[in-house]
Amino acid sequence: MVRKWAFFHRHEVPCRFSRLRIDWVFAALFVVLSCATLAGLDWPLQNPKPSAHFGTAASGGFTTAIGLDAQGSLVRSADDGELSFVHDGRDFHINSLPSTIGTWVAVEHARGMIGLYSQLAPDSAAYYLKKLKKGSILGSTGASGWRKGEGLDFALYDRTAGRWVNPLLLMPSIEDKTAPVIRSAYLLRGGKAWALGETKSLPQGQYTIIVDAVDPVASGSGAAAPYYIRLIVDGVKAAELSLDTAEVKQGSLRLSSTGPRGFPELYAGDGKIILASKLFPRGRSVIQILVRDFAGNERQASWAINLE
Amino acid sequence: MEENGKRQLAIALVALSGVIYFFVCAIPLSRELILEPAWAVSIPTGAATLGLDRPTAGHGSRLSFRLKGSFGYFDEAGASIFAAPVSFGCAISDEAYVSYDRLPEYLSLRNAQGQETARISEPGYPFWGGGRLFVMHPGQVSVAEIGSDGKRLWTHDFPSVITAFDACPSMALFGLLDGSLVGLDSKGDEVLGFSPGGSRIPGIYGCAISPDGLLAAAISGLDSQRLVVLEKRSSAYRVTYHRYLDSNFRRAVDMSFTEDGRFLLYEQEGRFFVYDPSKRREAVVDSAFLGDLGLFSSAREILVAIESGEGGRDILCASPVGKRLFTLPFNAEDSSIALSSDAIFLGLTSQGGASNMLRLDFKEE
Repeated sequence: MVRKWAFFHRHEVPCRFSRLRIDWVFAALFVVLSCATLAGLDWPLQNPKPSAHFGTAASGGFTTAIGLDAQGSLVRSADDGELSFVHDGRDFHINSLPSTIGTWVAVEHARGMIGLYSQLAPDSAAYYLKKLKKGSILGSTGASGWRKGEGLDFALYDRTAGRWVNPLLLMPSIEDKTAPVIRSAYLLRGGKAWALGETKSLPQGQYTIIVDAVDPVASGSGAAAPYYIRLIVDGVKAAELSLDTAEVKQGSLRLSSTGPRGFPELYAGDGKIILASKLFPRGRSVIQILVRDFAGNERQASWAINLE
Repeated sequence: MEENGKRQLAIALVALSGVIYFFVCAIPLSRELILEPAWAVSIPTGAATLGLDRPTAGHGSRLSFRLKGSFGYFDEAGASIFAAPVSFGCAISDEAYVSYDRLPEYLSLRNAQGQETARISEPGYPFWGGGRLFVMHPGQVSVAEIGSDGKRLWTHDFPSVITAFDACPSMALFGLLDGSLVGLDSKGDEVLGFSPGGSRIPGIYGCAISPDGLLAAAISGLDSQRLVVLEKRSSAYRVTYHRYLDSNFRRAVDMSFTEDGRFLLYEQEGRFFVYDPSKRREAVVDSAFLGDLGLFSSAREILVAIESGEGGRDILCASPVGKRLFTLPFNAEDSSIALSSDAIFLGLTSQGGASNMLRLDFKEE
C-alpha cells in the first residue's frame, strides 16, 4: 500500500466546481455568524471527553448529538436560557411513547438555538427550574436510554434554520493532538471491492470510492467519523464532506453543509464512508484522500492505480 | 264576608296545584351507580411467570395491563392471568407485546400467550398506537412502523425531537420540540403538517387523534400554552377550535380522545377538561388526576380516571359535563385501569410489591 503522509493542504488544488466553492462560502459564513451569536457557550460537563461525534453513523442513522463520556458528573447549562421541556425517560404512561434519549432536558438558548441535554440519570432532571444561567445544574450524567456507557449526549438545534448544528462549531476547543486515521480505502463495483494499495490494476469503468477513516476520540472508548474529508482524483477535487449541520428533507435526515446527503448515500456497512462514484478512464489514476479532525489535525493518503 | 271566601278559594287552589304538581310532575330519583367487587386475583411475580394454563376463549375478552414492575394479560372473567416482569421497557396491546432491555440486539414480538411471532431487527424502542406497532429509533427523531411479520413498513425522519404521539388506524400523529405537528398516513406519507403559533416558545406538549382520524388536537407552546383542535374538511385539516390555557407545562401533557371519538380529554393543573367537538363546548372536572385519561363508557356516559386521594389513590367516575359522580379510594404505589361496558379492571401494586388485579362491576341501586 502506498501512502504519502504529506501536508497536502499547503498545496491546494484549484477547485473546478463552483458549487463546492459556494458551499464553502456558506459554511464559513454560517460558522462565523453562529460563533458571533453564541460565542459564550460552555461545555455542559467539566473536562469533556467526546465519545461520539456529530454525523457519525450509529444504529442505522446519523447521530445529531455529540457524546461525552462521564460517570455521575453534573450536567450544566451551556449558556443562559429557559427550560422548555423535561422528560423523565421512564415516563411511559402518556400514550406509551418511549424515549430512546432517556431522561432529557431542552433549553432555549439565545437566537432560537435549543440545547438538548439527553441520557441524564433517571429522576435527575431539574424539572423545577425555568430561567437558567450559564452553569445552572440540569441533572447528572447517566445512561437512561439507547447509549453505551454512562455520559451525556449534547445536541444543538437551530430553530430558526430548522437544522441540527455540530456542537463543536460553537463550543470552546478541546485539546486534541491525535490525527484521524485512514484505515483503508477501496473501489466498489457490482458488489465487488478492490482495496487501494493492494490492487495495482483494474478494468476501466465506473467505481464507487469508499474510505474507512476514523477519528480516535478523546475518551479513547470509541471512534467517530472525521470532521472533514476531501477526495481528490488526478488532482481534481471529486468530493468534500464536513460534518457541520444536518436537516430533514422529505422525511429523511441529511447532512447539509456540503450538499445534502442522506444516511444510505453517505455510509456503507460498518460505518465506512461513501465518498463518490466516478468514471475511471483507461490510464493511470491517483486517488488522494485527506481527513481532518475539528482541532485541525490532518492525515492524508494517496494511491496510484492503473486502469486497463 | 265575600272577600274572605275568595281568599279561601285562592288558598285552596294553590294547595291543590301543589298537590297535583307533586304527583304529576315529580321525577323519580335515578338509581345510584356503585362499583361492586366481582373478583380479585394476585398477579404472579418472578421471571416470566405464567398463570395462563387455560385458553382464554369462553371466559370473556382478553385485556392487557401494565404496571411498573410487571405486565401481562387477563380475561374479563378472572379465570386466567399471564404476567411477566418488566426488565427495562414493554410495549403492550391487547393482542401482542414486546418486552425489551435498554440496548436490545433485536426486539421479539410475542402474542398474548408469550409465544414469539416475529423478530424485529430495527434499532430502538417499540410502542403501540391505534393497533399499530412502531419503533422509535435512537436519537428520538426517527420512527418506523413495523408489520406483523416484524418487517419495517416505512420509516420517517423528523426535523426535531419527538415529544408527543397518538395514532389511529389511518394516521399517526407526532408532536415535535420545534412546535410542529406532523401526521403520517398508513404508508408513512405526510398528510398533516401544522405549526400552531401564538406562543413565545413554540413546542408540542401533547397531541391526540380521534379514532376515525378526522379530528386532531394538540397542546402547544409556552407563554402562553394553547389548545388547538383541527378537523379534516375535504382533504385538509383546519383549526376549528382553540383557546389559551392557564397552564405552562414544561413536560409531556396527557390528552386523548375517548374510544368513541365523542370527547377530547386533556389535563390541566388540578383538573382535566372535556371538550365536546360536536358542540364546541368544554366542561371541567376538578381532579388531582394521575393518569389513564381517555377511558369512557359510552353505555353509561361515564368518564373514568385515576386520581390521587387523601389516603392514596382514587378511581374517579365523572360525567362528561364535568360532574364528579363518585370516587373509590384504594391504596397502591402503582396502578393501571381498563374499562369494559359493565366493569372496571384495576391493577395495583402495593407498597410491599405485591400486585393484584380486581374486577369492579357497575351496579345500580
